[in-house]
Amino acid sequence: MAGSDNVRIITAPYEKPLPNIDLDNEPFWDGLREHKFLLFKCKMCGAYYWPKAYCRFHENESFMGNLEWSEASGKGKVFAFNIHHWALHPGFKSDVPYVYALIQLDEGPLISSNVIDVDPKEVKVGMVVEIVFEDHPQEGFTLPKFTPAKG
Amino acid sequence: MSSSRKYAVAGLGVVAGPQPNHTRRQIAAEAVRRAILDAGLDREDIDGAIEVVRGAGAGERSAYADPFPRILALPVNFFFSVERGGALAGLGISAAMSFLDRGIAKYVALCGVVDDWTRAQETKAKGFRGMVHLEKEGAWGRALGDIRAFSHHSWMASRHMAEYGTTSRQLGAIAVAARAWACKNPEAKMYGRSMTLEDHQTSPLVVEPYHLLDICLISDGGIAFILTTAERARDLRKPPVYVLGQGFGEIERALWWEKKNYTHMAVKTAKEQAFGEAGLELNDVKCAQLYDCFTGEVLFQLEDYGWCNKGEGGPFVASGAIGPGGSIPVNTGGGLLSCYHLADLTGFAEAVRQLRGEAGERQVVACDIAMSTGHGGEMLSPGMCSIHSCTILGR
Repeated sequence: MAGSDNVRIITAPYEKPLPNIDLDNEPFWDGLREHKFLLFKCKMCGAYYWPKAYCRFHENESFMGNLEWSEASGKGKVFAFNIHHWALHPGFKSDVPYVYALIQLDEGPLISSNVIDVDPKEVKVGMVVEIVFEDHPQEGFTLPKFTPAKG
Repeated sequence: MSSSRKYAVAGLGVVAGPQPNHTRRQIAAEAVRRAILDAGLDREDIDGAIEVVRGAGAGERSAYADPFPRILALPVNFFFSVERGGALAGLGISAAMSFLDRGIAKYVALCGVVDDWTRAQETKAKGFRGMVHLEKEGAWGRALGDIRAFSHHSWMASRHMAEYGTTSRQLGAIAVAARAWACKNPEAKMYGRSMTLEDHQTSPLVVEPYHLLDICLISDGGIAFILTTAERARDLRKPPVYVLGQGFGEIERALWWEKKNYTHMAVKTAKEQAFGEAGLELNDVKCAQLYDCFTGEVLFQLEDYGWCNKGEGGPFVASGAIGPGGSIPVNTGGGLLSCYHLADLTGFAEAVRQLRGEAGERQVVACDIAMSTGHGGEMLSPGMCSIHSCTILGR
């Protein structure tokens, strides 16, 4: 599914805060490692959620049994964004200026991440973006980032 | 049933400015001691105590377990914490009123404390900027550079700019107004340090669109107040400041599908409830203490309450409407931007002082009605900053 053009492999030592992986979101992070972007989808009506939630449109089965993690398009639009000029944590010193954006996914939910491989000055609200999988093989996780969509 | 004018703030105690030699619990105890003295009460009178804690409001615990009632030997029948980001005074009063209403307590002491300035100094040396001690383990975006509150709050300004054409200079007018008020308040951190729009524009871009001067202060301090019934308050040393109305809003559900809290705050229900209970209209308010963690939040509230139309907040603030001499004095002590940051307690204390006529050079003429709002409480990323509280106070 995912071509190599949407994968970045980072081998430099990881000096940033670790992602918070817990029981609720472990399948999401497992998916990222396999270069699949998963959202939590209702099997009854098709609504998408991120993070996990009970479906808001009808009654649910116990513990969200009517929802499952399901591969999504990884496409969306910049809903709002900022440009961090200050490294507020020492791990980001070589990243500034970096874009941290709220992305409205084509399936509906919002997710936030960096928009990379673009001059921050070029980023606009409404810009169409797509998923990039940033692998950190030594640490064993993959971060979901976004980049302007091609074509 | 309306509780309007049934309860009153009878005492106020403030500890302001850096407190590197005092722990949070010492600051709390001192603020409460001052509030009891201010009310003309004795420690033996205080039979209830509530600590208000700035927190995420879910899944996190209070920071310490040696509270001010123990230190001050208060003969209280209950002590507990109310915890939520940015809406501490509003929620704490609501809790206290239920105890007063049922006759369980006669005089309730409420107190909130921060030691952010001192803690931030300690962590600066390690290469961190700002309030690293508040980092939440469970937050989504930390690995992606979502490190401080403005790492996501600034999206609100971004979105407002994209939808309505709001400019950085217009946001700057909010910071300039706050500073003008602070320069009339000797207790303010920025007292004596005047500021122009050009100062705002040339201050460093920290997290664009926010300049350094769009961002609130990091402070130490404590604010305590004594809440009691209206009848009891009338017999005390200071003129009572009555709670006229309160309301609350949450926008967490609307966020996901309507994306509302990126140009709005959860003002609608809070305004309806508070003004409905008080039997007042917006133009009855003589000064508004609006939660100003960043300049954007002030803009949203001016629009959401209706001092101007949605999207027109930029030109409204640029006209000088919220500064000294403006049509609606906002954050008359300097606010979180230029006075000090004790969450909504900062504005609440200022409202009390304005209503008592204790505001010195910044006193709003004939100030009989004031309001104080709370905001914040990120419940999870991205930017789910959902709570809003509105408290209307009056003479």
